[in-house]
Amino acid sequence: MTGSVLERSRVLIVDDSVDIHRLLKIRLRDQNLDIITASTAAEGLRITRETMPDLILLDIDLPDKSGFEVLAELKNDPLTHDLSVIFVSGSVESQDKVRGFDLGAVDYVTKPFDMAELRARVRSALRMQRLVRLLAQRAHLDGLTGLWNRAHLDVRLRECVDAARRHGRSLSLVMCDIDHFKELNDTYGHPFGDHVLQEVARMLEEMARSEDICCRYGGEEFAVILSETDHLEAMKVAERFRARLEGTVWSAHEDLRVTASFGVSSLSLNAIKSPEALLNSTDTALYEAKRTGRNHVVLAQPDASLRLSAVRSAAG
Amino acid sequence: MSRDASRDASRDHLQSEFADDPEMQDLVELFVSELPKRVAVLRSGLESNALEQVQRVAHQLKGASGGYGFPMIGDCAARVEAAVKTGAALEQIRRCVDELAELCRRAAST
Repeated sequence: MTGSVLERSRVLIVDDSVDIHRLLKIRLRDQNLDIITASTAAEGLRITRETMPDLILLDIDLPDKSGFEVLAELKNDPLTHDLSVIFVSGSVESQDKVRGFDLGAVDYVTKPFDMAELRARVRSALRMQRLVRLLAQRAHLDGLTGLWNRAHLDVRLRECVDAARRHGRSLSLVMCDIDHFKELNDTYGHPFGDHVLQEVARMLEEMARSEDICCRYGGEEFAVILSETDHLEAMKVAERFRARLEGTVWSAHEDLRVTASFGVSSLSLNAIKSPEALLNSTDTALYEAKRTGRNHVVLAQPDASLRLSAVRSAAG
Repeated sequence: MSRDASRDASRDHLQSEFADDPEMQDLVELFVSELPKRVAVLRSGLESNALEQVQRVAHQLKGASGGYGFPMIGDCAARVEAAVKTGAALEQIRRCVDELAELCRRAAST
Protein backbone atom coordinates (compact mmCIF):
# COMPACT_ATOMS: atom_id res chain seq x y z
CA MET A 1 0.00 0.00 0.00
CA THR A 2 1.31 3.39 -0.92
CA GLY A 3 1.03 6.90 0.46
CA SER A 4 2.41 6.70 3.98
CA VAL A 5 2.44 10.09 5.64
CA LEU A 6 6.15 9.78 6.25
CA GLU A 7 7.02 9.01 2.66
CA ARG A 8 8.77 11.73 0.69
CA SER A 9 6.53 13.09 -2.00
CA ARG A 10 7.73 13.12 -5.58
CA VAL A 11 7.13 16.32 -7.51
CA LEU A 12 7.69 16.64 -11.25
CA ILE A 13 8.37 20.07 -12.71
CA VAL A 14 7.58 20.39 -16.42
CA ASP A 15 8.92 23.70 -17.68
CA ASP A 16 11.05 24.59 -20.67
CA SER A 17 13.26 26.93 -18.65
CA VAL A 18 16.17 25.39 -16.79
CA ASP A 19 16.20 28.57 -14.68
CA ILE A 20 12.77 27.62 -13.36
CA HIS A 21 13.99 24.07 -12.58
CA ARG A 22 16.88 25.42 -10.54
CA LEU A 23 14.78 28.05 -8.83
CA LEU A 24 12.08 25.64 -7.71
CA LYS A 25 14.56 22.99 -6.61
CA ILE A 26 16.14 25.52 -4.24
CA ARG A 27 12.90 27.19 -3.20
CA LEU A 28 11.19 23.89 -2.37
CA ARG A 29 14.28 22.40 -0.74
CA ASP A 30 12.87 22.44 2.79
CA GLN A 31 9.61 20.71 1.84
CA ASN A 32 10.94 17.15 2.04
CA LEU A 33 10.31 16.47 -1.64
CA ASP A 34 12.00 14.48 -4.36
CA ILE A 35 12.03 16.87 -7.30
CA ILE A 36 12.39 15.70 -10.87
CA THR A 37 12.34 17.91 -13.95
CA ALA A 38 11.35 17.77 -17.59
CA SER A 39 11.77 20.42 -20.29
CA THR A 40 9.20 19.40 -22.88
CA ALA A 41 5.67 18.03 -22.91
CA ALA A 42 6.84 14.72 -24.40
CA GLU A 43 9.52 14.32 -21.75
CA GLY A 44 7.06 15.28 -19.04
CA LEU A 45 4.54 12.66 -20.16
CA ARG A 46 7.20 9.97 -20.38
CA ILE A 47 8.63 10.73 -16.92
CA THR A 48 5.12 10.92 -15.46
CA ARG A 49 4.35 7.40 -16.64
CA GLU A 50 7.71 6.11 -15.43
CA THR A 51 7.72 7.69 -12.00
CA MET A 52 4.06 8.39 -11.13
CA PRO A 53 4.77 11.62 -9.24
CA ASP A 54 2.50 12.77 -6.40
CA LEU A 55 2.28 16.22 -7.92
CA ILE A 56 3.12 17.81 -11.27
CA LEU A 57 3.92 21.51 -11.64
CA LEU A 58 3.02 21.99 -15.28
CA ASP A 59 3.95 25.02 -17.34
CA ILE A 60 1.25 25.97 -19.82
CA ASP A 61 3.53 27.25 -22.55
CA LEU A 62 5.79 24.34 -23.55
CA PRO A 63 7.78 24.09 -26.78
CA ASP A 64 6.16 20.98 -28.26
CA LYS A 65 2.57 21.29 -27.03
CA SER A 66 0.58 23.22 -24.46
CA GLY A 67 0.23 22.24 -20.83
CA PHE A 68 -3.51 22.06 -21.43
CA GLU A 69 -2.94 19.29 -23.97
CA VAL A 70 -0.59 17.50 -21.58
CA LEU A 71 -3.20 17.56 -18.81
CA ALA A 72 -5.92 16.34 -21.18
CA GLU A 73 -3.67 13.42 -22.13
CA LEU A 74 -3.01 12.57 -18.49
CA LYS A 75 -6.71 12.68 -17.72
CA ASN A 76 -7.48 10.36 -20.64
CA ASP A 77 -5.16 7.66 -19.40
CA PRO A 78 -6.54 5.55 -16.51
CA LEU A 79 -3.00 5.11 -15.19
CA THR A 80 -2.44 8.85 -14.76
CA HIS A 81 -6.02 10.02 -14.43
CA ASP A 82 -5.87 10.75 -10.70
CA LEU A 83 -2.51 12.52 -10.56
CA SER A 84 -2.50 16.06 -9.15
CA VAL A 85 -1.47 18.85 -11.45
CA ILE A 86 -0.82 22.49 -10.58
CA PHE A 87 -0.62 24.78 -13.59
CA VAL A 88 2.24 27.24 -13.57
CA SER A 89 1.95 30.13 -15.94
CA GLY A 90 2.94 33.66 -16.71
CA SER A 91 -0.62 34.29 -17.78
CA VAL A 92 -3.00 35.87 -15.32
CA GLU A 93 -5.89 35.68 -17.80
CA SER A 94 -8.88 34.32 -16.00
CA GLN A 95 -9.94 32.36 -19.09
CA ASP A 96 -6.66 30.39 -18.89
CA LYS A 97 -7.26 29.69 -15.22
CA VAL A 98 -10.81 28.57 -15.88
CA ARG A 99 -9.65 26.30 -18.68
CA GLY A 100 -6.99 24.80 -16.40
CA PHE A 101 -9.42 24.07 -13.59
CA ASP A 102 -12.03 22.71 -15.99
CA LEU A 103 -9.47 20.26 -17.37
CA GLY A 104 -8.95 18.97 -13.83
CA ALA A 105 -5.97 20.90 -12.47
CA VAL A 106 -6.01 21.14 -8.68
CA ASP A 107 -4.49 24.62 -8.62
CA TYR A 108 -3.04 27.41 -10.72
CA VAL A 109 -0.08 29.62 -9.83
CA THR A 110 1.35 32.50 -11.76
CA LYS A 111 4.95 33.50 -12.44
CA PRO A 112 6.84 35.18 -10.95
CA PHE A 113 6.20 33.08 -7.89
CA ASP A 114 5.41 34.30 -4.44
CA MET A 115 7.47 31.55 -2.88
CA ALA A 116 5.67 31.36 0.46
CA GLU A 117 2.43 31.02 -1.43
CA LEU A 118 3.80 28.41 -3.83
CA ARG A 119 5.12 26.30 -0.96
CA ALA A 120 1.74 26.46 0.76
CA ARG A 121 -0.07 25.51 -2.44
CA VAL A 122 2.28 22.57 -3.02
CA ARG A 123 1.73 21.37 0.55
CA SER A 124 -2.02 21.73 0.17
CA ALA A 125 -2.10 19.80 -3.13
CA LEU A 126 -0.01 16.99 -1.65
CA ARG A 127 -2.26 16.79 1.39
CA MET A 128 -5.32 16.54 -0.83
CA GLN A 129 -3.67 13.93 -3.04
CA ARG A 130 -2.91 11.81 0.02
CA LEU A 131 -6.53 11.98 1.19
CA VAL A 132 -7.92 11.11 -2.22
CA ARG A 133 -5.58 8.14 -2.43
CA LEU A 134 -6.56 7.00 1.03
CA LEU A 135 -10.22 7.28 0.16
CA ALA A 136 -9.79 5.34 -3.08
CA GLN A 137 -7.96 2.65 -1.15
CA ARG A 138 -10.59 2.55 1.58
CA ALA A 139 -13.28 1.99 -1.02
CA HIS A 140 -11.42 -1.19 -1.97
CA LEU A 141 -10.80 -2.47 1.54
CA ASP A 142 -12.89 -4.81 3.61
CA GLY A 143 -13.67 -3.13 6.91
CA LEU A 144 -13.69 -6.24 9.09
CA THR A 145 -10.57 -8.03 7.88
CA GLY A 146 -8.52 -5.29 6.23
CA LEU A 147 -8.17 -7.47 3.11
CA TRP A 148 -9.08 -6.14 -0.32
CA ASN A 149 -12.79 -6.40 -1.08
CA ARG A 150 -14.78 -7.82 -3.97
CA ALA A 151 -14.62 -4.58 -5.97
CA HIS A 152 -10.84 -4.67 -5.81
CA LEU A 153 -10.76 -8.34 -6.79
CA ASP A 154 -12.83 -7.62 -9.90
CA VAL A 155 -10.49 -4.84 -10.98
CA ARG A 156 -7.26 -6.64 -10.23
CA LEU A 157 -8.34 -10.01 -11.61
CA ARG A 158 -9.01 -8.37 -14.97
CA GLU A 159 -5.63 -6.62 -14.91
CA CYS A 160 -3.82 -9.80 -13.86
CA VAL A 161 -5.52 -11.95 -16.50
CA ASP A 162 -4.74 -9.39 -19.21
CA ALA A 163 -1.10 -9.13 -18.12
CA ALA A 164 -0.64 -12.89 -17.80
CA ARG A 165 -2.09 -13.54 -21.24
CA ARG A 166 -0.06 -10.74 -22.79
CA HIS A 167 3.20 -12.10 -21.40
CA GLY A 168 2.29 -15.78 -21.63
CA ARG A 169 2.59 -16.22 -17.87
CA SER A 170 0.61 -18.50 -15.63
CA LEU A 171 -1.98 -17.19 -13.20
CA SER A 172 -4.13 -19.02 -10.67
CA LEU A 173 -7.07 -18.19 -8.48
CA VAL A 174 -7.84 -19.86 -5.18
CA MET A 175 -11.22 -19.46 -3.50
CA CYS A 176 -11.91 -20.64 -0.02
CA ASP A 177 -15.10 -20.84 2.03
CA ILE A 178 -15.17 -21.54 5.74
CA ASP A 179 -17.11 -24.76 6.43
CA HIS A 180 -20.33 -24.59 8.48
CA PHE A 181 -19.77 -20.93 9.23
CA LYS A 182 -23.42 -20.31 10.00
CA GLU A 183 -23.42 -22.99 12.72
CA LEU A 184 -20.20 -21.56 14.07
CA ASN A 185 -21.85 -18.14 14.35
CA ASP A 186 -24.99 -19.63 15.92
CA THR A 187 -23.06 -21.73 18.42
CA TYR A 188 -20.31 -19.35 19.51
CA GLY A 189 -21.87 -16.00 18.69
CA HIS A 190 -21.18 -13.42 16.00
CA PRO A 191 -18.25 -11.75 17.76
CA PHE A 192 -16.40 -15.07 17.68
CA GLY A 193 -17.45 -15.57 14.04
CA ASP A 194 -15.94 -12.18 13.23
CA HIS A 195 -12.79 -13.17 15.09
CA VAL A 196 -12.52 -16.32 12.95
CA LEU A 197 -12.89 -14.25 9.77
CA GLN A 198 -10.17 -11.89 10.95
CA GLU A 199 -7.85 -14.75 11.85
CA VAL A 200 -8.40 -16.48 8.52
CA ALA A 201 -7.62 -13.19 6.78
CA ARG A 202 -4.47 -12.76 8.87
CA MET A 203 -3.29 -16.30 8.10
CA LEU A 204 -3.97 -15.81 4.39
CA GLU A 205 -1.88 -12.67 4.30
CA GLU A 206 0.85 -14.31 6.31
CA MET A 207 1.10 -17.27 3.97
CA ALA A 208 0.72 -15.32 0.76
CA ARG A 209 3.65 -13.79 -1.07
CA SER A 210 3.73 -10.01 -1.10
CA GLU A 211 2.65 -9.93 -4.76
CA ASP A 212 -0.40 -12.16 -4.15
CA ILE A 213 -3.72 -10.38 -3.84
CA CYS A 214 -5.87 -11.57 -0.92
CA CYS A 215 -9.51 -10.55 -0.90
CA ARG A 216 -12.57 -11.14 1.18
CA TYR A 217 -14.96 -12.12 -1.56
CA GLY A 218 -18.03 -11.85 0.63
CA GLY A 219 -19.44 -13.44 3.81
CA GLU A 220 -17.10 -16.27 4.79
CA GLU A 221 -15.57 -16.57 1.32
CA PHE A 222 -12.05 -15.51 0.40
CA ALA A 223 -10.12 -15.33 -2.85
CA VAL A 224 -6.41 -15.12 -3.59
CA ILE A 225 -4.93 -14.17 -6.97
CA LEU A 226 -1.61 -15.94 -7.47
CA SER A 227 0.47 -14.41 -10.24
CA GLU A 228 3.03 -16.51 -12.12
CA THR A 229 1.68 -19.63 -10.43
CA ASP A 230 0.38 -22.67 -12.30
CA HIS A 231 -2.46 -24.88 -11.08
CA LEU A 232 -0.17 -27.46 -9.46
CA GLU A 233 1.63 -24.83 -7.39
CA ALA A 234 -1.71 -23.20 -6.54
CA MET A 235 -3.04 -26.56 -5.33
CA LYS A 236 -0.05 -26.81 -2.98
CA VAL A 237 -0.63 -23.30 -1.66
CA ALA A 238 -4.30 -24.07 -1.01
CA GLU A 239 -3.50 -27.38 0.66
CA ARG A 240 -0.89 -25.76 2.92
CA PHE A 241 -3.44 -23.21 3.98
CA ARG A 242 -6.18 -25.81 4.46
CA ALA A 243 -3.91 -27.85 6.75
CA ARG A 244 -2.84 -24.83 8.72
CA LEU A 245 -6.41 -23.69 9.34
CA GLU A 246 -7.49 -27.19 10.36
CA GLY A 247 -4.57 -27.38 12.80
CA THR A 248 -5.28 -24.01 14.38
CA VAL A 249 -6.19 -24.08 18.06
CA TRP A 250 -8.76 -21.42 19.03
CA SER A 251 -7.94 -20.33 22.55
CA ALA A 252 -11.54 -19.44 23.42
CA HIS A 253 -12.84 -22.85 22.33
CA GLU A 254 -10.03 -25.39 22.45
CA ASP A 255 -12.04 -28.31 21.10
CA LEU A 256 -13.20 -26.40 18.05
CA ARG A 257 -11.76 -27.17 14.63
CA VAL A 258 -12.44 -24.63 11.92
CA THR A 259 -12.02 -25.95 8.39
CA ALA A 260 -12.56 -24.56 4.92
CA SER A 261 -13.17 -25.86 1.41
CA PHE A 262 -11.07 -24.74 -1.53
CA GLY A 263 -11.51 -24.35 -5.26
CA VAL A 264 -8.51 -23.78 -7.51
CA SER A 265 -8.43 -22.77 -11.13
CA SER A 266 -5.78 -21.49 -13.46
CA LEU A 267 -5.19 -19.93 -16.84
CA SER A 268 -3.06 -22.99 -17.61
CA LEU A 269 -6.26 -25.06 -17.75
CA ASN A 270 -7.93 -25.29 -21.15
CA ALA A 271 -10.49 -22.82 -22.31
CA ILE A 272 -10.02 -20.37 -19.45
CA LYS A 273 -9.22 -17.03 -21.02
CA SER A 274 -11.27 -14.36 -19.30
CA PRO A 275 -11.45 -13.22 -15.68
CA GLU A 276 -15.11 -14.30 -15.66
CA ALA A 277 -14.23 -17.82 -16.83
CA LEU A 278 -11.47 -18.04 -14.23
CA LEU A 279 -13.80 -16.90 -11.46
CA ASN A 280 -16.59 -19.23 -12.59
CA SER A 281 -14.41 -22.31 -12.84
CA THR A 282 -12.85 -21.59 -9.41
CA ASP A 283 -16.28 -21.13 -7.90
CA THR A 284 -17.45 -24.38 -9.49
CA ALA A 285 -14.45 -26.24 -8.06
CA LEU A 286 -15.18 -24.74 -4.63
CA TYR A 287 -18.77 -25.93 -4.92
CA GLU A 288 -17.44 -29.40 -5.76
CA ALA A 289 -15.24 -29.32 -2.65
CA LYS A 290 -18.31 -28.48 -0.56
CA ARG A 291 -20.43 -31.14 -2.24
CA THR A 292 -17.84 -33.87 -1.79
CA GLY A 293 -17.35 -33.58 1.95
CA ARG A 294 -15.73 -30.17 2.64
CA ASN A 295 -12.29 -29.50 4.17
CA HIS A 296 -10.42 -30.31 0.99
CA VAL A 297 -9.06 -28.72 -2.18
CA VAL A 298 -10.62 -29.30 -5.60
CA LEU A 299 -9.03 -28.34 -8.89
CA ALA A 300 -11.30 -27.04 -11.63
CA GLN A 301 -11.81 -29.59 -14.38
CA PRO A 302 -10.71 -28.40 -17.81
CA ASP A 303 -13.72 -27.73 -20.03
CA ALA A 304 -16.05 -29.02 -17.33
CA SER A 305 -17.04 -25.69 -15.88
CA LEU A 306 -20.16 -25.41 -17.99
CA ARG A 307 -21.35 -28.90 -17.15
CA LEU A 308 -20.69 -28.39 -13.44
CA SER A 309 -22.51 -25.07 -13.32
CA ALA A 310 -25.49 -26.83 -14.87
CA VAL A 311 -25.36 -29.43 -12.11
CA ARG A 312 -25.10 -26.70 -9.57
CA SER A 313 -28.13 -24.76 -10.73
CA ALA A 314 -30.12 -28.01 -10.82
CA ALA A 315 -29.00 -28.67 -7.24
CA GLY A 316 -30.15 -25.17 -6.23
CA MET B 1 26.26 66.72 -20.65
CA SER B 2 25.99 63.17 -21.83
CA ARG B 3 24.07 60.90 -19.49
CA ASP B 4 26.59 58.08 -19.96
CA ALA B 5 29.41 60.16 -18.69
CA SER B 6 27.67 60.92 -15.42
CA ARG B 7 26.57 57.36 -14.78
CA ASP B 8 28.32 55.77 -11.85
CA ALA B 9 28.85 52.05 -11.81
CA SER B 10 26.71 51.15 -8.82
CA ARG B 11 23.69 53.10 -10.06
CA ASP B 12 24.01 51.47 -13.42
CA HIS B 13 23.66 48.05 -11.81
CA LEU B 14 20.33 46.37 -11.77
CA GLN B 15 20.16 44.57 -8.48
CA SER B 16 18.20 41.39 -7.79
CA GLU B 17 15.33 41.82 -5.36
CA PHE B 18 16.73 38.71 -3.67
CA ALA B 19 20.26 40.00 -3.29
CA ASP B 20 19.92 39.76 0.49
CA ASP B 21 18.32 36.33 0.51
CA PRO B 22 21.05 33.82 1.45
CA GLU B 23 19.07 30.96 -0.04
CA MET B 24 19.12 32.69 -3.40
CA GLN B 25 22.65 34.08 -3.65
CA ASP B 26 24.30 31.22 -5.55
CA LEU B 27 21.27 30.83 -7.73
CA VAL B 28 21.10 34.52 -8.68
CA GLU B 29 24.82 34.49 -9.38
CA LEU B 30 24.41 31.53 -11.75
CA PHE B 31 21.43 33.16 -13.43
CA VAL B 32 23.31 36.42 -13.97
CA SER B 33 26.44 34.65 -15.20
CA GLU B 34 24.40 32.88 -17.87
CA LEU B 35 22.62 36.02 -19.12
CA PRO B 36 25.32 36.92 -21.69
CA LYS B 37 24.90 33.47 -23.22
CA ARG B 38 21.15 34.01 -23.47
CA VAL B 39 21.65 37.41 -25.07
CA ALA B 40 24.08 35.86 -27.57
CA VAL B 41 21.42 33.32 -28.54
CA LEU B 42 18.87 36.12 -28.95
CA ARG B 43 21.23 38.05 -31.21
CA SER B 44 22.24 35.09 -33.32
CA GLY B 45 18.56 34.26 -33.73
CA LEU B 46 17.97 37.77 -34.98
CA GLU B 47 20.95 37.67 -37.37
CA SER B 48 19.96 34.33 -38.89
CA ASN B 49 16.28 35.30 -38.96
CA ALA B 50 15.50 32.36 -36.63
CA LEU B 51 12.71 34.23 -34.90
CA GLU B 52 11.41 31.09 -33.27
CA GLN B 53 14.69 30.90 -31.37
CA VAL B 54 14.28 34.54 -30.29
CA GLN B 55 10.75 33.90 -29.13
CA ARG B 56 11.75 30.76 -27.19
CA VAL B 57 14.59 32.43 -25.26
CA ALA B 58 12.48 35.51 -24.58
CA HIS B 59 9.70 33.28 -23.33
CA GLN B 60 12.02 31.50 -20.92
CA LEU B 61 13.43 34.78 -19.62
CA LYS B 62 9.93 36.13 -19.21
CA GLY B 63 8.97 33.21 -17.01
CA ALA B 64 12.13 32.96 -14.94
CA SER B 65 13.50 36.48 -14.41
CA GLY B 66 10.91 37.50 -11.86
CA GLY B 67 11.75 34.44 -9.79
CA TYR B 68 15.36 35.59 -9.65
CA GLY B 69 14.42 39.07 -8.59
CA PHE B 70 14.63 40.80 -11.99
CA PRO B 71 11.02 41.59 -12.91
CA MET B 72 12.17 44.37 -15.29
CA ILE B 73 14.02 41.79 -17.40
CA GLY B 74 10.94 39.59 -17.33
CA ASP B 75 8.69 42.42 -18.51
CA CYS B 76 11.10 43.38 -21.27
CA ALA B 77 11.44 39.75 -22.39
CA ALA B 78 7.64 39.61 -22.55
CA ARG B 79 7.71 42.54 -24.97
CA VAL B 80 10.25 40.71 -27.18
CA GLU B 81 8.12 37.59 -27.16
CA ALA B 82 4.97 39.56 -27.97
CA ALA B 83 6.73 41.42 -30.81
CA VAL B 84 7.77 38.15 -32.46
CA LYS B 85 4.41 36.53 -31.82
CA THR B 86 2.46 39.37 -33.37
CA GLY B 87 4.73 39.48 -36.39
CA ALA B 88 6.18 42.92 -35.73
CA ALA B 89 8.73 44.36 -38.14
CA LEU B 90 12.26 43.07 -37.72
CA GLU B 91 13.44 46.56 -36.78
CA GLN B 92 11.00 46.75 -33.92
CA ILE B 93 11.98 43.29 -32.67
CA ARG B 94 15.61 44.37 -32.84
CA ARG B 95 14.88 47.46 -30.75
CA CYS B 96 13.17 45.29 -28.13
CA VAL B 97 16.08 42.84 -28.10
CA ASP B 98 18.55 45.73 -27.70
CA GLU B 99 16.59 46.98 -24.73
CA LEU B 100 16.55 43.48 -23.22
CA ALA B 101 20.27 43.02 -23.85
CA GLU B 102 20.98 46.32 -22.11
CA LEU B 103 18.98 45.28 -19.02
CA CYS B 104 20.77 41.92 -18.97
CA ARG B 105 24.12 43.67 -19.17
CA ARG B 106 23.19 45.79 -16.16
CA ALA B 107 22.00 42.85 -14.09
CA ALA B 108 24.29 42.14 -11.18
CA SER B 109 24.17 39.44 -8.57
CA THR B 110 25.31 41.64 -5.68
